[in-house]
Amino acid sequence: MNATKVVRRNALVFWRGWRSSMFLSVLGPVLFLTAMGLGLGSLVDPNVQAFGGASYIAFFATGMLAANCMQSAAFSASYPMMSKLTWQRNYEAMLATPLEVRDIYFGELAWIGVTLAQQTIPFFAVMALFGIFDSPLAVLAIPAAVLTGLGFGAAVMALTATLKTDEAYTWLFRFVVTPLFLLSGTFFPINDLPVWGVAAAQLTPLYHGIELIRGMTISNLTLVAGLTHLTYLLLFLAVGIVIGVRNLTHRLVP
Amino acid sequence: MPDDGVLIHAAGLIKRFGDFVAVDGIDFEVRRGEAFGFLGPNGAGKTSTMRMIGCTSAPTDGLLSVIDMDTVAESTQIKSRIGVVPQIDNLDIELSVRENLEMYARYFDISRFEAAERIDELLEFVQLAEKAKDRVESLSGGMKRRLVIARALVNRPELLLLDEPTTGLDPQARHLVWDRLYRLKQRGVTLVITTHYMDEAEQLCDRLVVMDKAEIVAEGSPRELIVGYCTRDVVELRLSDANRERLKGSVDGLVERVEWLPDRVLLYTETGEATLAAIQDGGIHTETALVRRSSLEDVFLLLTGRTLVE
Repeated sequence: MNATKVVRRNALVFWRGWRSSMFLSVLGPVLFLTAMGLGLGSLVDPNVQAFGGASYIAFFATGMLAANCMQSAAFSASYPMMSKLTWQRNYEAMLATPLEVRDIYFGELAWIGVTLAQQTIPFFAVMALFGIFDSPLAVLAIPAAVLTGLGFGAAVMALTATLKTDEAYTWLFRFVVTPLFLLSGTFFPINDLPVWGVAAAQLTPLYHGIELIRGMTISNLTLVAGLTHLTYLLLFLAVGIVIGVRNLTHRLVP
Repeated sequence: MPDDGVLIHAAGLIKRFGDFVAVDGIDFEVRRGEAFGFLGPNGAGKTSTMRMIGCTSAPTDGLLSVIDMDTVAESTQIKSRIGVVPQIDNLDIELSVRENLEMYARYFDISRFEAAERIDELLEFVQLAEKAKDRVESLSGGMKRRLVIARALVNRPELLLLDEPTTGLDPQARHLVWDRLYRLKQRGVTLVITTHYMDEAEQLCDRLVVMDKAEIVAEGSPRELIVGYCTRDVVELRLSDANRERLKGSVDGLVERVEWLPDRVLLYTETGEATLAAIQDGGIHTETALVRRSSLEDVFLLLTGRTLVE
């Protein structure tokens, strides 16, 4: 499989700075959980039922697990990918070898998956140290978070393949990624939103990622709800892949 | 089946992007072991043609085969046997000089052991052995170009595609690149080169085609083109306005063709020295006068015009 060669190229570059990457992916969650979970959480009435009986730190951290993946994948598929596509033309160089567009596409998407796992696992471990989980099944939150992130990675890759300049990213992060982060249930239950807000939040992939993770870790998930969230996330990813491969092919092999 | 010596065969080759016609039905053949050039102004269709040969752009219509294989259906196989030097350097700036070659070798499924040997050889060949561990960003323009060429050779290609290989390089760097390309040709590598430098085409190409406005307008060896489209000599004159007028009255019949440029007059003739003597004997005072052999550049300007294409 030629896509693995693209993964290996990225791994070689990543490996150089692995110490700082690992440090950041552990330090980040510790700071966030301490500041938001314990700091802000101490202001939240512990008897309140809004978080489904869980503590605020547990509620917030499980949401963050998915939201982090969304932001990380969206970023990886934006500027760094535009650099390889347009500024440095790495993909053009790869295409002059037996690699084809599909190899490049799936290699890059797989690499995004690897980096998501690399960031999610330490985050999950820190959460475990904070005593957030009671069941070993909670470990399923890791693939769920990675799947959520991959969907966003594929969507942004599909966008990047159509762009000549990076102007659109300002809009993407300001008007899509950040509002999703704030309003899809990371910080507070979406039920606190007005009715139309609840309906809108339920349409977002991040909401389904977060609900799936929370359901498997800190609250009870019905089979139907679990399958609904999973199907939604898989469809989101599948549509992103189909459009992404089409757009990248159109761009690289006109 | 085309005959054995033919490495690239194109017939009625067309490339359109929407309504824009980049390549409009061209025919050409490149034979094994030769250096073949595409000459033409910017936008003539050279790069589009190169991309089709390199299997990164599908022909809209017509026939194109490389090493007897179809560039769309068998692109992966073709790409494993050719090397590509693109117009704009696309090295991996996150990797060192040597890593750039190692990674490329991996893309071609060359074993680590085999790659190490070839890379040592290639770094020597392009005179970058001492730079092996350096970051690509620290290299000069000429060094980057040589590294791109080395990278294109990592799979020992039988065909090397070079899109404007020396554009932007200083004279020393250009001559070094030309020297290396010449050595490759002597080893039997087929070269396909696009350029708008006439000296490059004359130096490197056995045979070339001149492209203009998506079509091939002339074909032959550099010498054949000069003989076929131009006189042996060109006389370049700078004249005062008065002398210019006097020359206009007397030049007819003296030379084969005259070109009146704003700053100069060009006289195309078989006998440059005699023509100049005749003009000066006729009492026309020339501010400067130069007799030279006609070059590929004269043919190029004749065929593609002096108007700036933008």
